Amino acid sequence: MTDFEALQEAVGKGDVATAKTETEKGLSGGAGAQSILDDGLIAAMKVVGDRFSAGKIFVPQMLRSAKTMQACVDLLRPHFDAEAAASRGTMIIGSVKGDLHDIGKNLVSMMMGGAGFEIVDLGVDVPPERYVQKARETEADLLGMSALLATTMTSMKDTISALHKAGLRKKLKVMVGGAPVTERYAREIKADAYAPDAGSAVSEAKKLLGIE
Amino acid sequence: MPDAFRMLSEQDVETIDRAARRLLEEVGIRVRDEGFRDRLEKAGAETDAAAQIVRFPAGWLDQTLSQAPSAFTLHARDGADDVSLGSGRVAFGNGGRVFRILDRDGTYRGTTLADVARTAALVDRLERLRFYIVACHPENVPAEDEVLNGFHQALLFTSKHVMGGCDSLASLEKIRALAVLLAGSEEAFRKAPFLSIITNPISPLTLDPETLKMLQYCGTHGIPATCAPAPIAGATAPATLGGTLSQLHAEALAGVAVTQALVPGAKVLYGAVATAMDLRKMDFTLGSVEGAMMNAAAVQLARRYGLPIYASAGLTEAKEANFQAGFEKAVSSLMVGMAGADFIHLAAGMLDSGNTISLEQYVIDDECLGMVHRVLDGIGTDDDALGVDVVKQVGPGGNFVMEDHTIDHMMEEFFYPDLMVRSNFDVWDQGGRPTTLSRARDKLDDILPGTPAAKIEPAQRDEIRKRFPRLLDVTW
Repeated sequence: MTDFEALQEAVGKGDVATAKTETEKGLSGGAGAQSILDDGLIAAMKVVGDRFSAGKIFVPQMLRSAKTMQACVDLLRPHFDAEAAASRGTMIIGSVKGDLHDIGKNLVSMMMGGAGFEIVDLGVDVPPERYVQKARETEADLLGMSALLATTMTSMKDTISALHKAGLRKKLKVMVGGAPVTERYAREIKADAYAPDAGSAVSEAKKLLGIE
Repeated sequence: MPDAFRMLSEQDVETIDRAARRLLEEVGIRVRDEGFRDRLEKAGAETDAAAQIVRFPAGWLDQTLSQAPSAFTLHARDGADDVSLGSGRVAFGNGGRVFRILDRDGTYRGTTLADVARTAALVDRLERLRFYIVACHPENVPAEDEVLNGFHQALLFTSKHVMGGCDSLASLEKIRALAVLLAGSEEAFRKAPFLSIITNPISPLTLDPETLKMLQYCGTHGIPATCAPAPIAGATAPATLGGTLSQLHAEALAGVAVTQALVPGAKVLYGAVATAMDLRKMDFTLGSVEGAMMNAAAVQLARRYGLPIYASAGLTEAKEANFQAGFEKAVSSLMVGMAGADFIHLAAGMLDSGNTISLEQYVIDDECLGMVHRVLDGIGTDDDALGVDVVKQVGPGGNFVMEDHTIDHMMEEFFYPDLMVRSNFDVWDQGGRPTTLSRARDKLDDILPGTPAAKIEPAQRDEIRKRFPRLLDVTW
């Protein structure tokens, strides 16, 4: 049985260099990519996740571990038969039309990426048409919209309409968030989910997709 | 008068200033517009078209900043409530960008245009609130009409100086048209501008072209403005307070410098809305103690350049009028007030990290600011205040209660709260155990019993309706 203790420790500490070395060691030592992923990386992130939930570590540390894990997953990628083994799902994300603020969107992207999702980041000032186009192009499971300004929030409703018109609304789940966005507003515009912060965005996304 | 409270030593002011100047000189500000970059380059900036960056060489920075006025007035339409920036006086007021209101019955709901009208009327009647910022987002107004409708309700119900955010040049042009109509002529409005505009850079180090268009328009038409950075320590600025201050100072100076380069002599306030991220769960906090410290320090940074400051204080993360709200607001209002900021916004009415307001909170905060002002007024030490003569007169073993000296000084020397509870326990108990909040409600009913009279004559109101048919009326 391969011992991934050193790899897990490196992921826990956010030590990218050591984690990558350990990953390479594992591969050259004969451990399969899937095994390294499941028993090394995902197991390590589970411990990180538990420590975060217990309040022993916080978001910045968790993100650092997630980044470390991603670096190792990138090393494993060529060894996988199917891309799908390495990703929990794909999320299109952007700040809506007229809104240039992106820290919230970036935080969600980092947290979702850390949780193993693939992120397609459309940036800021994204009009409904661009969301629709990207939804058409990709096999995205989720579409996330962020707004800081109350004046730009209405674009969320427009984007959902545009998805309907394009026959794409049922293809993916829509999540919304941002300072002026509320649970009530999300229900009003018939979004699938609302998250008050980046951490809950991850749990809401997992709930929507029915995954752990 | 007390000495100004200094969050930073003079040496630290210089250190932070140097760091900010390095950022402006070496990193620069992103400006995604070739036209503006070219103009700034012609004026003396260094630009990088590929990276879309404008850099500020030291000499040019100082030259542009020297053109900014150190003192100017934010006028009030009634002439009595002018705010003189750069005069050494401190003026507190409320803030905007709110989208939720806590009603008297304890329910939270989305804010409407009627809430803009109500808060304007309320601020108009509260003595220590020296200006009105359009308080909230009206959820019942189409986005493109929001700014004009907000300013319109503000001007209808307060004659104090009105300030507000603006989303576009198109909205700004409409606001100016409304102001000119009210003032009677372009010249009259330019001479005594009774409204001003809030813009913001995007941290870190980004100035959006629409913001530049608005700043230029304001400068050209004599409308005072600010370009106020709101960096978030740990998220859009370094996780250290010194780092966030260095970046904030760079962004604030850039806003002033760029406006001067476009319109020399433009009336601009150095803006500062320092905030922090709670890095444990990544909660944004407008009302942290670190934010209070940075906002107090920013006053010194603006003063280094002789610029009037659009400062921030009186913030809390609490969701209602409770002990947390009291303490958090007090810490920041005191520090920023004692630092001597000209113009301190966000200091009344707000709860919940700047997302929620309550009418009672304006009334409570007005009183608390009275207490802060008492601190700022200091301890008098002229001969009369030292009272050697009256002590001699009363002599050992006497009392001062009925002395002329006591009666002469009692009203000016002490802050007398209307709301805060002061009495013998039994009196309080028999009086129904009032609280600051219950008294605030009573005062609210007292000062704003029903629909107040509009501050615009009916004839002008008709003219306004004709000129701006998309304006909405409000039911109280």
